[in-house]
Amino acid sequence: METLELLSHGFAIALTPTNLLFVLVGVLVGQVIGALPGIGPSLGMVLLLPISFGLEPTTAIVMLSGIMYGAMYGGTLTSVLINVPGESSGVMTTVEGYQLARQGKAGVALSVAAVGSFIAGIGSVIVLIFAATAISEFALRFSSPEYFLLATLGITASATLGLGAPLKSLIVAVFGLMLALVGTDPILGTSRLTFGQIELLEGISFLPVAIGVFGVAEVLASLERSEALKPLKMKLRDMWPTWQDWTTCRAAIVRGTGIGFLLGLLPGVGPTAATFIAYAAEKRFSKSPERFGRGALDAIASCESANNSAVTGGLVPLLTLGIPGSGLTAVLLAAFTLHGIRPGPLLMTNQPDLVWGLIASMVVGNAMLLILNLPLAPLFASLLRVPYAYLAPAILVLSMIGAYAAALSLFMVGMTILFGIIGYFMIKADLPRPPLILALVLAPILESSLRQSLILSQGSLSIFVERPIAAVLLIAVLLSLLWPLIRLGWHSARLLGSRSEQERG
Amino acid sequence: MQRLEIATALVILCLCVVVVVSMWDQPYWSNFAPGSAFLPYWVAGLGTVFAVAQIFVSTRRQRAEPADWPDQSGALRVLMTICSLWLLVALLPWLGTAISATIFMLALLLLVQRRQLLPSLVTTAVTVGLVELIFILWLDIRLPRGVFGI
Repeated sequence: METLELLSHGFAIALTPTNLLFVLVGVLVGQVIGALPGIGPSLGMVLLLPISFGLEPTTAIVMLSGIMYGAMYGGTLTSVLINVPGESSGVMTTVEGYQLARQGKAGVALSVAAVGSFIAGIGSVIVLIFAATAISEFALRFSSPEYFLLATLGITASATLGLGAPLKSLIVAVFGLMLALVGTDPILGTSRLTFGQIELLEGISFLPVAIGVFGVAEVLASLERSEALKPLKMKLRDMWPTWQDWTTCRAAIVRGTGIGFLLGLLPGVGPTAATFIAYAAEKRFSKSPERFGRGALDAIASCESANNSAVTGGLVPLLTLGIPGSGLTAVLLAAFTLHGIRPGPLLMTNQPDLVWGLIASMVVGNAMLLILNLPLAPLFASLLRVPYAYLAPAILVLSMIGAYAAALSLFMVGMTILFGIIGYFMIKADLPRPPLILALVLAPILESSLRQSLILSQGSLSIFVERPIAAVLLIAVLLSLLWPLIRLGWHSARLLGSRSEQERG
Repeated sequence: MQRLEIATALVILCLCVVVVVSMWDQPYWSNFAPGSAFLPYWVAGLGTVFAVAQIFVSTRRQRAEPADWPDQSGALRVLMTICSLWLLVALLPWLGTAISATIFMLALLLLVQRRQLLPSLVTTAVTVGLVELIFILWLDIRLPRGVFGI
């Protein structure tokens, strides 16, 4: 009953004219960004981060989170109409959606994706309400050792469970930790790795790194190519699926929602991996798996539901523990920090307006996106005709001005360009970028918790095994580091098993 | 790709050496608590291990995927864009935000990407207008104004 009262209070906050307007801004920006290939939701969030400084914290957070789930809706357009994923979680939608578009069923694919995303969005928000409350109460038992191990798990899991080669991801995470060390020792106050530069005494800020590696680097990589993308045409009257289509998709939507939310809870997994796993699961459960790869509507329903619910799932560890599990939630954590708010177990108690306003705004935002995506899909599709060559300079200007606005410093702008160049080479070297951002954001929590733990234990490492929750987290960290080896061993064992079966046969 | 991976690992190794050398004068342990150099040394150690492992894995790999480098025109576009960005930073304090952003966008659209004049002018006007509207008028952020005051 108390939860319902808090939720209704959240709706009262979310439905104020200002918050409604900024939810709309957030989901619109997210939709557009998701629809445009080469521009990820992380870029949209970091670009709007400096703009959010002029807003109330609740309004800023609802706007930025609107971009997160709005981009999942928007990515479907470019996946279906151009055969290019709008962002990385749209790969499987591209595989199936474009085939459907070639069969004249683009509208049906977009409708099913929009409705699936809506149902997944609302369903996962309902689960978020109860999960967040339960985990917050549990997390009150956390202290420095648990926070150190949780921050470590966030980095190691994102490196080894996420996309990209585990070793490369760990190298990138180490680079992120090195960047985070620059500045002033948080406990002793001495300068570290500043090389005499006064501007580095405050450390390397999150914003120039994020704008550089996500924004500038993406634009540089996209400018390499000069070919224009031609979307397939679609008409509004072709939008509506048949009753049989809905019958085919309803179980897929439920399965995708469940898979996405559970995987979104895990650090490092995120919407992209959730869609791959949802696709594989749907193919396994399907009575006619041979349709997959040739335009399977239930595959789209599952993937789009999974990516939307994974975004919501990712908010649970962020809001309750203050630990982001993906690049997107790392940007959101940075937004919380910049607005003077510390997410964690006490957030729901200390900032109920923010938390419940955010949760309610997600319901409102998903409803807005359903309305935008059904009748207005052809309008958004027309955006795809704007050549990227015109968008790229605009993105770069907004990035540079955004970087300057954060600290009124040209040094910050210079750093943004430098990290843009680094990010570009990371793309070329196939180095995943989210572990860099995660490590940069988690390093302060990691270091201060570690040092506080060792102060409490007077230098003894046993504090990390004597406490039961810490011991479990330590095992999770070790498992996440060993996971690539476990997977390699399992894969080799399966290969050996199938070879020996073939030889016997 | 193999060379890129090894180069990346070597860069990380160099950074690890820089971290250790820079933190040499700082305390690793201070009374009963970790000192300023505690985490940097551990990070450098982990970086060294991962970098050496990457070099080992890359050199033992039998088949290497080619790196996705751009062709000559693509590389030139990227290089010119980077130079344009540094030019923007140099011009900002002298010419101000509006003029610098305009020059940057027109240079990128007309010279680097060779787009048509009218759409380029429209895109530039819209972008600079958005910057003025959002950052200056709405957020009241003091962007560089330069010698012309705009």
